[in-house]
Amino acid sequence: MSLPRVLILGLLKFAEDKVSELLDDIAEVIRVDATNRAEFFAGLQPSGKYAGAVGLYRHWDSAAVTGPFDKELIDKLSTSVKWIAGTAVGYEMIDIAACKEHGILYSNTPGSVDVSTATTALYLIISTMRHFSKADRDLHAGKWKHGHKAAGLHDLEGHTLAILGLGDIGLHLATFVRPFGMRVVYHNRKPNPDAPEWCEYFPAERLDEMLALTDVLSVHIPLRTETIGFVGERMIRKLKKGAIIVNTARGKIIDEDAMIRALDDGHLAGIGLDVYPNEPEVNPRLLEFPNAALLPHMGGDSADAQRKLETRALVAARDYLTTGTSKDVVPELR
Amino acid sequence: MPRVLLCGDLVWAHKECEEMFKGIAEVVPLTSPDRADFIAGLQPGGKYDSIVGMFYQHTSARFIGPLNAELIGALAVSVKWIAHNGAGYDQVDVQACKAHGIYVSNTPGAVDYGTATTALYLLISAMRRFSSAERAVRSGSWKTLHKAKFAHDLEGHTLAILGMGGVGLRLAQYVHAFPMRVIYHNRNKVANAPDWIEYYPAERLDEMLAEADVLSVHVPLRKETTGLVDETMIRKLKQGAVIINTARGKVIDEEAMIRALEDRHLGAIGLDVYPNEPEVNPRLLEFPNAILLPHMGTETLDSQKRMEVRALTNLRDYLTKGAGADIIPELR
Repeated sequence: MSLPRVLILGLLKFAEDKVSELLDDIAEVIRVDATNRAEFFAGLQPSGKYAGAVGLYRHWDSAAVTGPFDKELIDKLSTSVKWIAGTAVGYEMIDIAACKEHGILYSNTPGSVDVSTATTALYLIISTMRHFSKADRDLHAGKWKHGHKAAGLHDLEGHTLAILGLGDIGLHLATFVRPFGMRVVYHNRKPNPDAPEWCEYFPAERLDEMLALTDVLSVHIPLRTETIGFVGERMIRKLKKGAIIVNTARGKIIDEDAMIRALDDGHLAGIGLDVYPNEPEVNPRLLEFPNAALLPHMGGDSADAQRKLETRALVAARDYLTTGTSKDVVPELR
Repeated sequence: MPRVLLCGDLVWAHKECEEMFKGIAEVVPLTSPDRADFIAGLQPGGKYDSIVGMFYQHTSARFIGPLNAELIGALAVSVKWIAHNGAGYDQVDVQACKAHGIYVSNTPGAVDYGTATTALYLLISAMRRFSSAERAVRSGSWKTLHKAKFAHDLEGHTLAILGMGGVGLRLAQYVHAFPMRVIYHNRNKVANAPDWIEYYPAERLDEMLAEADVLSVHVPLRKETTGLVDETMIRKLKQGAVIINTARGKVIDEEAMIRALEDRHLGAIGLDVYPNEPEVNPRLLEFPNAILLPHMGTETLDSQKRMEVRALTNLRDYLTKGAGADIIPELR
């Protein structure tokens, strides 16, 4: 009896060494070498080279070849494919409803970018509290400490970090800032049972209280219909004057116009962003503010995070092959 | 009442100064536009007549020049205590002070948080390649040139600290949260260092350098530490290593460091200090993996106020107890 056929879509750049280790004994591994969507579809035909695959390992970088994993594509997979192991945390580009319709399981890689994202948030917090971004830029422009006033620059010690959404990423961030002597407060729909006792919980009815004592607000909630613009005019104005907002979650969670107004009138003293509403576009207004630290969605862009991501999806593939399912199947398909 | 001089502006701690010296000493401000006027003021009958101690802020050098042998010789007419604002005092002619029986105190500890935070920022930026990424956003190229392959998180990597004083210890605490492995070299083993920090004595220094992913410099600038991080030391680091310097520019041989960036022996550098500030060697600006800050280690309201209070406390303690707590090692 031949081994089940598994397709690998996209290139593993960090965990290639784990492919044979995890899959060779239980699957026939085929690398998809299609260079575009049409070629991929052709290969999926009954006589094509990818026909009869039971599972698909989908690296996020394959989107450039196949285009989105929409209904059309998933319909074509459905003749034999039973599961997709995705390497990515977000799965907005996967038509989950179409997967459900065909009984195809889809797993993501939760947790893989937690540490790298929390590290990115810490970097943005330090940068904006200390105005390092502008100082670095000024130095490169030949100006040493230009227009610089220590008055607006602060140590982290003795200041308050508010984490909006204390999940795994928020918990890592809390651990990272603890040695700085920051007070850590958080808001969640419900208190996090894994939160250390020094993380102070503020429920919805005390959210305004939390915002009023916040020096830095760091956003760590997922983007859903109900969280679009969650950090809006009202919430921003409830923050104390001179507060800073850091966002490593999703751009659309913040009402960008409200944020820009608050920067214009000085209500916000700075922003640290890794994400934007319509990447890779960056609102040119943001570049005008001296205390804006702006990164191009690099929260998960470290060799360590990418290796975790690629490996985790390989483990999911192995689990699918050996048990029929994976613990990483997304909530919508469980 | 004894008289003391504020040699250089107090920026934040005016209220504290008033409270500290009320009923203890008359506090006199520096009003001299140049050294000649200053020296004249120190003479009997002059505006700084009989001052026994001073709070010293290095920005006063703009008016009266540096605290060199000539100036110290003039101060010696009555001054017995110089409360230096700042942890690094390499600009002060300590031998001249010793010769005249003048004590000097600095402000250790007050600079720890601010400087260690700066070191961590440079470390994260260098390992994750954030500096060039920020520049890419501003030039409109998003992250097309950024490769995750060269970007690393801290966990599982090794930080070697050169000089385990207050700043080094604080930085160790910060990176322990990730965790990074922390190893260090110091002239002597530090007794109160946590047990998760590993000491490497002089005979194992090469071993330490070979294991380091990041080398962070935290030694004071003295004759014996000038150019301490030289060609030999840099080449003993592993290929791709990162050097961070928040101590003093002259501790590193800049030419050797630049050569190591050119041939990619070093993966990145993060600097807050330079050999001849505010000059920055233009060669450094050419490297996208050189993160450069303009000596911002203690540029916060919080740090500066803490430092001023510490310096003033040393001066006050000299008057009330005979000595401040932070006499510099050379004069103990």
